[in-house]
Amino acid sequence: MSAHAASHDGHDHSHDDHHHEIPFWKKYIFSTDHKMIGMQYGITAMLFLAFGFYLMMVMRWSIAYPHEPLPEWMSWIFTDNWKARWLLDGKVTGETYNMFGAMHGTIMVFLGIVPLGFGAFGNYVTPLQIGAVDMAFPKLNMFSYWIYLVGGVIMCASFFMESGAAKSGWTNYSPLAGFADGQIVNQWLAGQTQWLLGLVMLITSSLLGSVNFITTIINLRARGMTWMRLPFFVWAMLVTGFLLLLAFPPLEAAGIMQLMDRVAHSSFFMPSGLFTKSDGLADLSGGGSPLLFQHLFWFLGHPEVYVLLLPAIACVAEIIPANTRKPLWGYKSMVYSVLILGFLSFIVWAHHMYMTGMGAAVSTFFQTTTVLISIPSVIIITALLISLWGGSIRFTPPMLWACAFIPMFGIGGLTGLPLAFNLVGLHLHDTYYVIGHFHYVVAPGILFGLFAGVYHWYPKITGRYMSNFLSHVHFWPSLVCMNIIFFPMLTQGMAGFHRRWYNGGDAYLDKATAATADGANVFANTVAQNIDLNIVMSYGAWILAVAQIPFIINLFFSWKTGRKVESDNPWNATTLEWATPTPPGHGNFTFDVAVYRGPYEYSRPDCDKDYYPQWEAPNKPVGGEPDKSADKGHH
Amino acid sequence: MEIPYIVKPRKDTGLINSKIAIWLFLASEVMLFGGFFSAYVYLRLGADYPWPERTLPVLPGLINTFILIGSSVTVVFAWVALKLGNWRQFQIYMGITVACAAIFMVLKGIEYNVKFHHQAARLHDYTVVEGHLGYELKDGADTHHPKDGDYVLDRNGKKIEENMIRVVAEKVTFAVKRFHAPWVSEMLAEAEHAKSEIKLAADIKMVVEEGNEPVTLAKAGEPLSLDLLGKIRKAQLAALKHNASLRTDALRLEWKEAKDANPGKKGWQLASDVNIDVGALEPRLLTEVSTVEFTVDPPTRFLFKPRDIKEGAASSTLRDNTIITGAMEASPMVFHNLDAIDFQWLVMKAKEKGISPETAIANSWLMKNSEFVREAWAWHLVRNEKKQEVLNKRYGFKEDGKTPKQTLTHKELYRLGWKDLGEMGVETKGVKIGGVAKIKEEFMGPNYKARGEKTFPHLSVPREQIRHAAKFSPAWNTYYAIYFTITGLHGLHVIGGALVLLYYLVFGRKMFLSNPEWFANRVEVGGLFWHFVDLVWIFAFPIFYLM
Repeated sequence: MSAHAASHDGHDHSHDDHHHEIPFWKKYIFSTDHKMIGMQYGITAMLFLAFGFYLMMVMRWSIAYPHEPLPEWMSWIFTDNWKARWLLDGKVTGETYNMFGAMHGTIMVFLGIVPLGFGAFGNYVTPLQIGAVDMAFPKLNMFSYWIYLVGGVIMCASFFMESGAAKSGWTNYSPLAGFADGQIVNQWLAGQTQWLLGLVMLITSSLLGSVNFITTIINLRARGMTWMRLPFFVWAMLVTGFLLLLAFPPLEAAGIMQLMDRVAHSSFFMPSGLFTKSDGLADLSGGGSPLLFQHLFWFLGHPEVYVLLLPAIACVAEIIPANTRKPLWGYKSMVYSVLILGFLSFIVWAHHMYMTGMGAAVSTFFQTTTVLISIPSVIIITALLISLWGGSIRFTPPMLWACAFIPMFGIGGLTGLPLAFNLVGLHLHDTYYVIGHFHYVVAPGILFGLFAGVYHWYPKITGRYMSNFLSHVHFWPSLVCMNIIFFPMLTQGMAGFHRRWYNGGDAYLDKATAATADGANVFANTVAQNIDLNIVMSYGAWILAVAQIPFIINLFFSWKTGRKVESDNPWNATTLEWATPTPPGHGNFTFDVAVYRGPYEYSRPDCDKDYYPQWEAPNKPVGGEPDKSADKGHH
Repeated sequence: MEIPYIVKPRKDTGLINSKIAIWLFLASEVMLFGGFFSAYVYLRLGADYPWPERTLPVLPGLINTFILIGSSVTVVFAWVALKLGNWRQFQIYMGITVACAAIFMVLKGIEYNVKFHHQAARLHDYTVVEGHLGYELKDGADTHHPKDGDYVLDRNGKKIEENMIRVVAEKVTFAVKRFHAPWVSEMLAEAEHAKSEIKLAADIKMVVEEGNEPVTLAKAGEPLSLDLLGKIRKAQLAALKHNASLRTDALRLEWKEAKDANPGKKGWQLASDVNIDVGALEPRLLTEVSTVEFTVDPPTRFLFKPRDIKEGAASSTLRDNTIITGAMEASPMVFHNLDAIDFQWLVMKAKEKGISPETAIANSWLMKNSEFVREAWAWHLVRNEKKQEVLNKRYGFKEDGKTPKQTLTHKELYRLGWKDLGEMGVETKGVKIGGVAKIKEEFMGPNYKARGEKTFPHLSVPREQIRHAAKFSPAWNTYYAIYFTITGLHGLHVIGGALVLLYYLVFGRKMFLSNPEWFANRVEVGGLFWHFVDLVWIFAFPIFYLM
C-alpha cells in the first residue's frame, strides 16, 4: 500500500489505505473490496451448494426406497412440525419430492454454481489478473452480492411457509407454475411467488455484476495488458459477463409476466379453456401461451449453461499451463472459440423444446445450430487436452481436478450430441438420460473445475497450501462416486426412466406389470431390469457426501495450520495475480503494474527460469533495444 | 486507492467507466424490453379472441409522447449548460426535464385510474359488455336516478359495488390448519353488525396427551373468535406432530422386521406387505380435528369478492377451504352505465361453428333480454348500411359488379362502443352536450352524467350468465396484461430516471463546484438513460394506442 501513500493529495480518501482503521463490518460484511466480495460469494455459494446437495440426498432416498421412512440421519434437520406437514408416515411424498427437485435445480444453478464460478472466482481473480486496483464500481459490486443473498434467502425461506417452496421444476413452466399454490389466499406469501421474487433479485444481481465485470475488463487493464495478453480466464469472464448481460433480461421479463399471472391474475402464459380437476374451469381470461414462457426461459436457459461452464473452463485453463510448465496450446483459437461459443449460445435455445410441436422448420434450425455449437466447445477441450502433451506434469491437487475435468466434461458433452437431434429427443426427452448428460457437465465437469480453482488460488488467498493428503482423500472418492451416480442414469434413461418419478419407477413398475401380466410391455421389462441401479446410485450419492468432509476440514484447518507458501508466487505461475502480496491488500498491487508479454510464457528458451511472468521487465533485451512492449495500449 | 478513468477517459478506449457501464446497462434493458415486446407480438399473433385495436385514448398518449421527446431534448440542453459551466441554465433545463416526467406520470395515472374503474364482462355466449358498475340499491329505488338515501350501505357506511357474491350463511366450517384470519375477522364484524352470533356447533373433544382421556377443548355454543380457532389449530398441529412421529417410528420398525425376515428381497418386492399396524397404534394417537363447524344464528348475509369464492346453490367454498353452508342470493352484476356492447368474439366463435353472425347475435342472451340492446342494434344495422353505401360510392365494386371493394371492419360491424352509443343518443333521443363537458369527454372518455341513461343504460346480468369478468386490468385479457406490464415497467423507469435527475438538480451544486467535469459525466450518463426511457415509449405508444 505504501506505493499509493505517495499519491495522497487530500480530498477524498480517508477510507482506503489505512487497513487498521477499517471497522469490522466494513471490512468483512459491507466490504467494497473485490477480494472480500469474492470470498463472500464463495462461502455463501458453497453453503447453498451443500444445501442443494442435501435436498438431492433426500430425493435419492425417495427414489431408492420409496416405501421406507426417511432415515433419522437425514431427517433430523427438520422440525417435527415440518415433518408432520411434508412427510407421510416419514416417507417422502410426491409433493415434497417435487419441491425438493425444483429447489435442488434452482439452488444448484442460480445460487450455487453461478455465484461460485462467476461471483467468487470472477471477483477475486479478474481484477488481479488484469492488474487493476479493484472493480470499476466497488459499491455496485457490494450491492450485487447483497441482492444475491437476499434473493437466495427469500427463495429458501419459502420452505418454511404454509405453501412450501416452489414445486414446479427449476424451469417453472406455466401453466403448472401459474396454478401452483393457488390455494394460498395472499399470493405474495406463496412459495411459487417467492421463487419469482427471488429470481428477479438474482437476475438484478447478475446484471449489476456483469456490467461491472465488462467495464472493468475493458477499462481497467494495466499498462501493456493488450487484448491478446489477457489470460484465458479473463476472456472467459468477459464472455460470461456478456451472456449474463444479454440472456438474463428475457427471463426477467418472463418472471415479471409470471408474477403478473400470479398476483394480478393475468393470462400471459395461460391458454384459453384451462380446466383442472380440483378447480374446474379456471377463472381466467385465457388467450396466453405456455410456449411463450418456454421460449423466454430457454433464451436464458441455454446461455446459462455456458455461464456455468466458462468459469470452470477458465480455472482449468489457468491451472494446466502452470502445472505442465508449457504454454496453453492454441491460446488464440481458444479465445476465438469462446467468443463464437458465446454468440452461438444465443441461438440454440429451442433444442430444449423439441417436444412442444414447434414445427419441423424451427426444429431443424435449432438442431443445426446445436450441432454447430459443439465445434467451439470441442476446440476448447481439445486445446486443453493437447496442452498436456509433452509437458512435465506436476500432479498438484489443483492439477488432479483439472485433469479429471477434461474427460468428465468430455462425457457430458458427448452424451449431449444425440440430444441435439430431435428424432432422438422423441425417445430421450425428459428421461434420466438427459439428467445424466447435464449432470456430467455440471457436477463432475464444472464442479471439478471449480474445486481445481479453490485448490489453485487458496495459497494466494490465505498464504498457505491446502493439505495434499486431504486433497487426495477428497479427490479420488469424489471422482469414483460421481461416475457411480451419473453413469447409470444414462442407462436408465435409455431404458425409459422418466426424470420426475419420485419413487424411482416403482409405481410405474407395479402398474405396468399389472396391466400386462405376460410382460409384453417393453418398458416394464427395461424398468424392472434397471430399477436396482437406483440403490447403487443412491449409495454413490451418500459416499460422495462423506467424501466432501475432507474438503471442508481442509478448507478451514489449512487456513491456520497449512504449510506456509515460500513466496508470493508459490506455483511459479506467470499471470498477474501472483505478483501481489499474499494475501493481497486493499488496492492489490504494491508496484506500478506493467505487462510485457503474453499470459502463458512457460519454458521459454531465452529465459533462465522455466516461467517468465507477465510483469517482469525484460532484463536481457533482445537486440540491445529496451523492450517497450509494455507501452502498448494506454498512458 | 483510487479507481482510474472516472473523470478522464482512458486513452486507448477513449471512454470513462460510467459511459461503458451505462451502454452495457442499456443493452440489457433493450433485451428486457425486447422480451416484453416479443411477448406482445407473440400474444397478438396467437390471440384466440378479437384483439382490442385502438381502444386507448390517443390524445393523452400523444401528449405524453411529445412531453417525453421534449424532455429528452432539455436533458441534453442541461448537459450542454454544464459543459459551458452555466449552473443557472442547467437548473432551468433540468427543472423542465423533471417537470415533464411528472406531467407524464400524472397523465399516465389518470389513464390507469380510468381503466381500473371500468368493468368488463364476458358472458357464456361470448358477448362482451363494458361499463361502470352500479351500487346496490334498496328495494323499490329508482335504478336510473338513485338518490343518496336509496343505497344499501355496508357496516362501514360505504356503498356496495354490485359485483359481490351474496351468501346467506347458516353454517361456517373452517379448515383448522389454514383458515385466513382476515376473513374470519370480516365475518365476525359482519355478524356483529347484523346482530347475529356465530357459535360452535358441537363440543370439540380431543385427546391431547398420549393415553389420557379426551378433554373438551371447547363447548358447543362458544362464540367464534380467532383465539378459539387458534387454540384448536395449536392442538391440531400438536396432534399431527405427535401422530406423525409415532407412525414414522412404527413404519421404521415394520421395515426393519420385514427386511430381517426376508433377507435378499428388494424393497419394492416387500413394499405391499409392509404396513403400519394401525390397531396397535390407535390407543397412543392423539385426536386430529381438521375442520370445525360453527352455526350462524340467525342466518346472516355475507358478501364475497367473486375471486375468493366458488359459489354453489346450497354451499360455497372460500379459497382458504372454509365452507359456507347456506343459500346463495341472486348476485347479479349490475352495470349502472353500459357503454359498450361487443359481439365480435361471439361472431368469431359462431363462424368457427358455421353459424351465421346474424343468427348468433339474435340468439344471444343480451338481445333476448334487453330492450335497449335490441333497439341499439337495429339502429346500428341501419347506420352500418349507410356507412357501406358511402364506401361503395367512394371505392366502387369489384368486377362482378356486386362485391364492394371496401367493406366495414369486423369491429365496425359487430361492436357498439361508447362513441356509437353517444351518436345514437344524439340521433334518436336528442341527447346533446357541448362546451366543457364535450372537451372532458374527448379526453377522459364518456361523460355519463351529461349523457344520462338515454345513452348509457342500466343493465343487470345474472351471475350464472357470466363466464369471466374483470375491470380493465391485466386480468381482463392479454392485451391489457401486456399493456399494463410494459407501460407500468416503463413508468417505473420514468420515476427512477426522474429521481436520479432530480437528485442531480437538488444536490449537484456542491459537486458542480468541486469537480464540474465529473458532474457533467454523471448528468450525461443520466441523460443517456433518459433517452432510452423515451425510446421505449416511442415503441410502446404506437403498438398500444395506434395499432
